[in-house]
Amino acid sequence: MSTRPSTDNGDTATAGTAATAAPAPAVELTGITKRFGTVVACDDVRLSVQRGEIHGLLGQNGAGKSTLMKILTGLVRPDSGQIMIDGGEVSISDPLVAAGLGISMVHQHFSLIGRMRVWENVTLGERGHVDRASARRLVTEVGDRYGLAVDPDRAVEDLTTGERQRVELIKCLRRDPDLLILDEPTSVLTLKESHELFSVLRRVTKEENKTVILISHKLDEILHATDQVTIMRSGAVVARRRTADTDVRELAREMVGREVSRLTAGSAVGALDALVEDIGAAKEAKEEDEEREVRLRVTDAHATGRDRRPLLRGLSLTVHAGEILGLAGVEGNGQAALGDLLSSLLELDKGTVEVCGKAVRAGRPGAMHAAGVGVVPEDRHVSGCVLDMSLAENLAMADLGEVARGSFLSPRRLRSRAERLISEFDIAAPGPDIQMRRLSGGNQQKVVLARELAADPKVLVVAQPTRGLDVGAIEYMTERIQKAAESGIAVLLISTELEEILTLAHRIAVIHRGAIVGEMTRAEVDVERLGMMMGGQAA
Amino acid sequence: MDDFELILGSAVRLAVPLMFAAIGEWIAERAGTLNISVEAMMLGGAFTAVTGAVATGSPEFGLLCGIVTGLVVALIHANLSHRLSVNTYVVGLTLNVLVLGLTSYLADKTEFFQVAKVAIPWLSSLPIVGSALFDVRWTAYLLIVLIPLAWWLVQRSRWGLEARAAGENPQSADVTGIHVNKRRRQALLICGLLGGLGGAHLAVAEVGTFNSNMTAGRGYIVLAAVIFGGWTLRGALAGCLLFGAADALRLALPALGYELNAQLLIASPYLLALAAMFFLAKSHRGPAALGAPFVRGIT
Amino acid sequence: MTALTTRLPRMVKPAALHTLLLYVASFAVALTLAGALVTLTGKSMSETAYALYQGSLEGGGSIGLSIDEATPLLLVALGAIVCARAGIFNIGQEGQLLMGAMAGAVVGLFMPGPGWMVMVGSLLGAALGGALWAGIPAVMYYWRGVNVVIGTLLMVFVAAQLAMYVVTQENLLQEDGEAGARSPQSNLLAEGVMLPRVGEYPDLNVTSGVFVVLAATVAIVLLLRHSTWGFRLRMLGHNPAAARRSGVRATVLGGGALLISGAFAGMAGGIMLSGTIGRFQPGMADNVGWEGLLVALVARNHPVAAIPVALFFGGLRAGGGFLASTGVPRYLVSVVTALLVMAAVFPAAYAELSKLRKRNKPVVVEG
Repeated sequence: MSTRPSTDNGDTATAGTAATAAPAPAVELTGITKRFGTVVACDDVRLSVQRGEIHGLLGQNGAGKSTLMKILTGLVRPDSGQIMIDGGEVSISDPLVAAGLGISMVHQHFSLIGRMRVWENVTLGERGHVDRASARRLVTEVGDRYGLAVDPDRAVEDLTTGERQRVELIKCLRRDPDLLILDEPTSVLTLKESHELFSVLRRVTKEENKTVILISHKLDEILHATDQVTIMRSGAVVARRRTADTDVRELAREMVGREVSRLTAGSAVGALDALVEDIGAAKEAKEEDEEREVRLRVTDAHATGRDRRPLLRGLSLTVHAGEILGLAGVEGNGQAALGDLLSSLLELDKGTVEVCGKAVRAGRPGAMHAAGVGVVPEDRHVSGCVLDMSLAENLAMADLGEVARGSFLSPRRLRSRAERLISEFDIAAPGPDIQMRRLSGGNQQKVVLARELAADPKVLVVAQPTRGLDVGAIEYMTERIQKAAESGIAVLLISTELEEILTLAHRIAVIHRGAIVGEMTRAEVDVERLGMMMGGQAA
Repeated sequence: MDDFELILGSAVRLAVPLMFAAIGEWIAERAGTLNISVEAMMLGGAFTAVTGAVATGSPEFGLLCGIVTGLVVALIHANLSHRLSVNTYVVGLTLNVLVLGLTSYLADKTEFFQVAKVAIPWLSSLPIVGSALFDVRWTAYLLIVLIPLAWWLVQRSRWGLEARAAGENPQSADVTGIHVNKRRRQALLICGLLGGLGGAHLAVAEVGTFNSNMTAGRGYIVLAAVIFGGWTLRGALAGCLLFGAADALRLALPALGYELNAQLLIASPYLLALAAMFFLAKSHRGPAALGAPFVRGIT
Repeated sequence: MTALTTRLPRMVKPAALHTLLLYVASFAVALTLAGALVTLTGKSMSETAYALYQGSLEGGGSIGLSIDEATPLLLVALGAIVCARAGIFNIGQEGQLLMGAMAGAVVGLFMPGPGWMVMVGSLLGAALGGALWAGIPAVMYYWRGVNVVIGTLLMVFVAAQLAMYVVTQENLLQEDGEAGARSPQSNLLAEGVMLPRVGEYPDLNVTSGVFVVLAATVAIVLLLRHSTWGFRLRMLGHNPAAARRSGVRATVLGGGALLISGAFAGMAGGIMLSGTIGRFQPGMADNVGWEGLLVALVARNHPVAAIPVALFFGGLRAGGGFLASTGVPRYLVSVVTALLVMAAVFPAAYAELSKLRKRNKPVVVEG
């Protein structure tokens, strides 16, 4: 029963009509509009994807790509518009309906259940009996067919991120979908893994005549991997191109809506090539910073997670005053642990952290902050701010002493401090009492940054500072980080986006499996070598 | 019959109602509901079973009434917690207060009704275990069917896979196209069915009549058993047997002339469950989303 | 997103009206059900209502009784609120209250010294007893990650057995007297150890414990709203990860909240002991712990709102004592309480759900 893909809900027609002479587009969306409150996520969107192509859906964060795809997969109902699959109109009310139509999606945040086995995860979301033997066999078969080897009996929580990505792919491909949607699939992958992924996608479209939609905000990726590209901006489609007929510049312009400086283009839209050209210019700029004071020194840090898995394995790094050290690496290689360590959330099994030459006890609540380390965490919604408290309260969180008299808060001081920071950091808000939740992502990020800088830090740690922001906010962040360094703060920039690091960093270190595997100055950058180091190859 | 046989028989009789409810509680918890209204399900089941038996003269009809009552309690709980997302403990607590008050308010049945005992030929004459296991009220034999069925349902069926996903990681389950709250409601309904049956069994199979607060916290013992068993069916059932045995000992030992602390025995299920969680924290991992409500879009 | 805020004021009116209607309807249904229950069992609806009124509101004596009943409920609720602010769900007040009363009885019976000093000692002992009982699940949680709900819940039943044990052992708390004629309860506290009563019977008279409770309420309101402790507590409750990043020690603050909650429940037991009952009895908790938790819930975790709710529930409990005259079992009070809790919870939850449905999406656009 379950050896057959679950296309048995009366939709066999889709598969049958696929090969007819004048091919209707595999997917055609017309006039799709979706509002959330007063925010228009999709505005009269038209998207047409031909069978057998890899179609790039390019746009900044917030452009409406994810919403559009959620509509296509039944997670969100559109307010109006028409969805045609292979020329027939359909109504996708539910993820199961989407699955029945042969639409399958690999989500940006994984949809796997950690404590279940690989085969259980793969069969989840299907219908009919659970046949363990055939499900396990299928994992192996699909894995072999596409070069996605993974042991069906292992628990997902024991897998690496790359392996989990494979399970996600198997989970989709196992249903033999006609249309495969991938949402920012490479953010957790090494360069090598990304290339493997693209070659799987290529095989799927060429040999099996399936259709792929690749959602991305990285230009390189779109240029490298797609046949056609649709560009979205602020909820609307602004351009459609054959990938072969376009270039980075044009894509960037369409995506952002104006000409962008080379540097901003680098971190905002992922134009790696433009950045590498710039390196020559940067060569002479920073040569003399060897002599500067060491602000942050982490030596031989070892740490283990709650599940007894090693997080850091002998990580050592130093950051000097006035310098931006970019820490490059594929997500899940210990960046989060390093961020936690510098936020006093992680204890070390071994090793030391020194701030301005003084040892700081790791894991002791508030110790790093007291020593002068400011942190803008990557997941600012989750751990950078409290969405249910007010803007003023969020600005005061770590430094209650400044707004309190004795052990009571002074509403006046709270307010005046907030007003000062709001104007100093250009935070767009109706007033200091507004709930944090009501601010836009960019403004939330500003609040966190303002709070950390207001404490006059010696060291500033910024993790993925531009993730999820629009171009305006990215420019703002970039500028602020540079200013912070110019004012003498030692900045540690943790990012998975090489482009962001190349834009900002004076020196680059690469993290892999919880340790620094290589370092180079901005002038010596060689993207290929960086990529190999990020993938764990000695270079 | 020697003393051991006697105590064993009593232990089994005391454990059986717990086992019915524990199977249900196990299913509800695997789907993510830490269900404390199982006490209300059992108590309500016990009351209506006797009422139904008195009204029709048929204890079998009483059983049916008990099951229906358990389902009604579950329906209220499921819709409040997994449709409206009211805090599940609050709903459970309120239901317990409600059913305890209601059944005590209405309790005036003194008539005696019991389902028949069925002895299984040959097996019931086995030494020691024969009469304890194979000469019991017929409803107890339902367990022989229910236990493997429940295990298969949760561990092997499509429904169970989805219910467990709902208990482990509702967000991921939702993205995969599983109706998280529907699965949780269904699991709770199964719990209601079995909890009602457990209470009904207690009333019309073992005791034969209803008295105010007759379950006396057995629902919480069931909860303790599932925790003690580390959220495995095997473990939960073993917990029920163990706790039944502790209860049987408490009742039997004074008569046999042993001095034993009754309070310690009564408290033992709770102490053992706490100890199991404390000392075996690593292997005793409950479903990751146990007790957490699921609302789409809220992470 | 800012557009959303400007849109809100317009939305408020019809939605608020809708919610109000829903409340009215829910309470009407709850009371109708309770009435139907009384009528169907052949009792008189009006007599029952009158008895409830007599017991809770008619004359100073009854009002005093209601306040006496409300006092421990409010204390328990305050503790529950502190815990809820820290994002911790303590469900074990029933046991913490009992253990508080037990500790209070031990101090009250055995501590030497002048009456007033013993009285204060007994109350503090009660608070300590409750805190210690809540401390066990707190340690289990912060040391070994044992779920707080499960921990506090199971400890309730352990407490009940411990209470029964100490009053059945003659060398512990069991009352003095002939071997066969002893009840499972402690001796009466000495007259001077009892909390003084304010006012004269049959006019309004209440235990002075009520002032302790009011002082506690004021303190909690002020501390929660204006102190740095309250700020940190809210931070921890809303977002533990962000709180920890800001230097909040979750173990100290969260564990402390649990201890405070236990102490309040214990103190409630102490006030019941030395304010009204006068001796330790294993059954004395009598659902006050559970109902106090429900008070906090109906008051939506707001300490000021908890006062009227506690008074209402206390009035019901006091009225229940008068039901006997009508032949209606006093269990009716539990039924009414539970129905009212459901009626109070339902509309808010329903409104929230319809709001979410309308939005169909988290506030932050694009994941």
